[in-house]
Amino acid sequence: MKKRIISMLLCVVMTATMVAGCGSKKTDSGSSADTATSGEKITFMVPDWGVPTDDQLKEFTDETGIDVEIAEVGWDDIREKLATGASAGKAVADVVEVDWSWVGEFEAADWLEPLEVSDEDKTDIPTIETFTINDKVLAMPYTNDYRLSFYNTKQFEKAGITEEPQTWNDVLEDCRKLKSTGTVEYPFALSLNAEEKTSTCLMWLAYTMNGVVWNDDGTLNKDSAMEALEYMDTLVKEELVAPEDKTSSGMDAYKRICGGTASFLTGPTSFVSRSTNPEECSVIGEITPILVPGKDAKATETMALPEAIGVTKASKNKEAAKKFVEWYTSADMQERLNETNSAIPTRNSVLEKLIQDGKIENAGAMLEEAKLISSPFPNGVPSYYAEMSSAMYNAINKMALGTYTPEQAYEEMASATEKLAKE
Amino acid sequence: MKYMKKIVYVCELLLFLVVTIGPFVWAFVLSVTPDNAVFAPTVKLLPEHVTWAHYGELFSPDSRRGTAFFSAMLNSLRAVGITLCIGVPIAAIAAYALGRMEFKGRNLIKNLLLITMVIPVMATIIPLYRMFAAGEMLDNIFWLSIVYVSSYLPMAVWLISNYFATIPRELDEAARIDGCGEAKTFFYVMLPLSYPILISVVLIMFLNTWSQFQIPLILASSMETKPMAIIVSEFMTKDSVQYGLIAAAGMLALIPPAAATLFFRKYLVAGMMKGSVKG
Amino acid sequence: MSAQQTAESTNTMKKKILPYLLLTPMILIMGVLVYYPILATFSYSLKKWKLTAPADIHFIGLKNYIDILQSESFWYSMENTLFILVMVVVFTTICGCMVAMFLNIDVRGSGILMALSILPWALPPYVNGVLWKFVFFSGYGFLNKLLLGMGLISHPIEFLSARWTLLLVVSIVVIWRSTPFMALVCLAGRRSIPSQIYEAARGDGATRTATFRYITAPLMLPFVGVGLTSTSVTAINVFDEIVSLSGYSDLGKNILMESYLTTFEFLNFGKGAAMTYLVMFCALILGVLYLRSLNKEVEY
Repeated sequence: MKKRIISMLLCVVMTATMVAGCGSKKTDSGSSADTATSGEKITFMVPDWGVPTDDQLKEFTDETGIDVEIAEVGWDDIREKLATGASAGKAVADVVEVDWSWVGEFEAADWLEPLEVSDEDKTDIPTIETFTINDKVLAMPYTNDYRLSFYNTKQFEKAGITEEPQTWNDVLEDCRKLKSTGTVEYPFALSLNAEEKTSTCLMWLAYTMNGVVWNDDGTLNKDSAMEALEYMDTLVKEELVAPEDKTSSGMDAYKRICGGTASFLTGPTSFVSRSTNPEECSVIGEITPILVPGKDAKATETMALPEAIGVTKASKNKEAAKKFVEWYTSADMQERLNETNSAIPTRNSVLEKLIQDGKIENAGAMLEEAKLISSPFPNGVPSYYAEMSSAMYNAINKMALGTYTPEQAYEEMASATEKLAKE
Repeated sequence: MKYMKKIVYVCELLLFLVVTIGPFVWAFVLSVTPDNAVFAPTVKLLPEHVTWAHYGELFSPDSRRGTAFFSAMLNSLRAVGITLCIGVPIAAIAAYALGRMEFKGRNLIKNLLLITMVIPVMATIIPLYRMFAAGEMLDNIFWLSIVYVSSYLPMAVWLISNYFATIPRELDEAARIDGCGEAKTFFYVMLPLSYPILISVVLIMFLNTWSQFQIPLILASSMETKPMAIIVSEFMTKDSVQYGLIAAAGMLALIPPAAATLFFRKYLVAGMMKGSVKG
Repeated sequence: MSAQQTAESTNTMKKKILPYLLLTPMILIMGVLVYYPILATFSYSLKKWKLTAPADIHFIGLKNYIDILQSESFWYSMENTLFILVMVVVFTTICGCMVAMFLNIDVRGSGILMALSILPWALPPYVNGVLWKFVFFSGYGFLNKLLLGMGLISHPIEFLSARWTLLLVVSIVVIWRSTPFMALVCLAGRRSIPSQIYEAARGDGATRTATFRYITAPLMLPFVGVGLTSTSVTAINVFDEIVSLSGYSDLGKNILMESYLTTFEFLNFGKGAAMTYLVMFCALILGVLYLRSLNKEVEY
């Protein structure tokens, strides 16, 4: 009995000291943060890849007297936080990440402060178009991502194909050959899982085939979408894409090209650097970035999926926040962020310089493709994008799993889109 | 007969071990597999090359991911500490009142408390956020822990008060005749007798706090408050899925709760062997 | 004599107030952090409140609920939820009791076994999902590697591509994670039974089944009950596991996921709130059932 009481007491004392220690630490950090706010202070909410280094931030603070606090938040969670914050009328941060797909709803929800951008910058950064709604620039793109094609030259040669594919038909023929010669079992890497990347797959496929995805009234362009869906369906039916692509994450599907289990990919620009990184890629030196194929020849436009940063409307330090955005997206910073965070510059001038300086290896058609960027949304990204995309990827996923025909998948998407566009 | 019993026990043991530890062994294998070999199409169970890079990244002091991970572990531990120090006493005294005292509205209070067990986090999180935002309580481990406590109280109170109810009334009557007041009876009779359940409640709170995800996701975004589960989920971002790193972090994240269980098991086993009444 | 009377009356006064005093901290916490928010959420669920239409927030009564109940996808999610619920509750209870009985056998090292048995629960659900994804991965996951290696199949099985196998996998994962809790609660319940009762029963010549039927089972019931309630709530609220196994796909979504998507993806806070209320309602029915059968006093 005595022993037990003693042991219990010991437990209590131990935990109490632990918490007391923690408690005091907490108040310490709290007060030090308070005293540091001598000048202006802003918070910057980004995913890990957008976090600038401490040195870079210090330079900014020295230059402007503005303190920057970083809130590193997972990409998916940023929207959730913004939404919850906005529902309470609170700015979760002064400067926030704005993905291209969010801009429509952020505009409708009135969360972003318009930015002033010079014409010079507008021509240097073609992706600004995506973030411009009603002639107002709502966010500045800081890292670029556009659809670029990659193919494994060694595997193509092994299957007896000597030429780079020019059209989507070439790709299909080449893949059949790769499969029939037994070179690669599932040569085409395609995202078919029920997730955002699958919707964008359909968009860029239709866009590079026919140059159109959406009609002016926001509805789906039937001919173009159907053609893309049937193309995808062919790939699935002939087992040119791996069965696991239907359920594993889109990124895993893309990564098959780095693992050597796929020979052709149209995907994120980041694969330029991934294809030269020995930790991620087991077929270094075999992957070449090329222009995205089109219907009769190479496609004349490609879709961009850039990320930007914007200033929140509820922010109390808008001027300081705008200064930060300007600094962060400046040409000089883009060059340095490429070095420290391997961000792909949104300014074509910087991209060109980096490729010329040899800082981006194995660039292939990267720069050429960057000049073809344009937005498939005639009226900008709609405010109901998330809901529409969800309907799209689920329909495509069902088609991939064999429950829907391409027609049924189209019908489901089209009716969902139409309903949303009407609202 | 005895021999048979032993064989059955060993079979049970093996099954238990395979089911419980198997997935962890597999996770460990993944944590030492290079990223480009994770989905390699082979039937070999072990990777050709073993890499410790994932652990290296977590332990290296210059890697942002590593420091973030360990500071998050610390945050989780702090939340656990605060939750236990607040949650267990409150639960114990409330359970004492509900389990050993007669008063008006007792059943009502008990039912109103228990019924909250069915409330999912999603149903309260948005108003909670608004409340916290208005009160400047966001990004604060103390308030975060209080929210955890509110979600554990019904179960903890119910478990403890049921246990209290099993302690024979004669014991506290005897204590009262010896001149103990309510407080003394509680501390010297009830608590020592019921520490197996108290330890179980401590464990339940520890483990549940350890894996909290949805509540801190909304209520905490600063590096100083984010718990481990959130940091680990951030290893899986939009463009890179670092399975090896997630597996490695998952393995490391198991250490504190495993250590706590090992530490407390003595008391749990002791309580079992002595029987709860032979104070 | 009068002094004694006042002393007595203050004593009874104290006795009357004491329980409420002891309950105050709990009532405060529960009132502010659970009851107030839950009522606030209810008021949201009666509004049209879409964040993308900030100017148009108004009271619409039960329209959100009616819309949800009329949508096909809600009932699809409901089926998934029920499937997971039944699987998880049944098998977690069975496995939990079995593990508890197993751990109750006193051998050397049983403490370490207990520590091991707790591990699955210590894993954050999200990591848990990722972990099992590797086991059931449709390509060369662990199980497929094993089956291929043993020559039982010639092509990897796509576990995660069909609705029911996916739900089965989800259930297995959740059962694995929630069994330790059930086992711990059962074990605690088993230990709350005074050993004298068993001795007395043995003295009376009771058989093993009789001991179980008349002593172990009824005395453990309140504990199993709490485990059941909590497991049911866990099963209804599965989220991270489904997301890490199959993403936000329609295939395996449950009601909670639908409510999450509506709230945070489609930014429809009103409808999302209504959906969480429906989730809660399901859990509530179960909760009340358990409570009613368990809320009998345990007396010795």
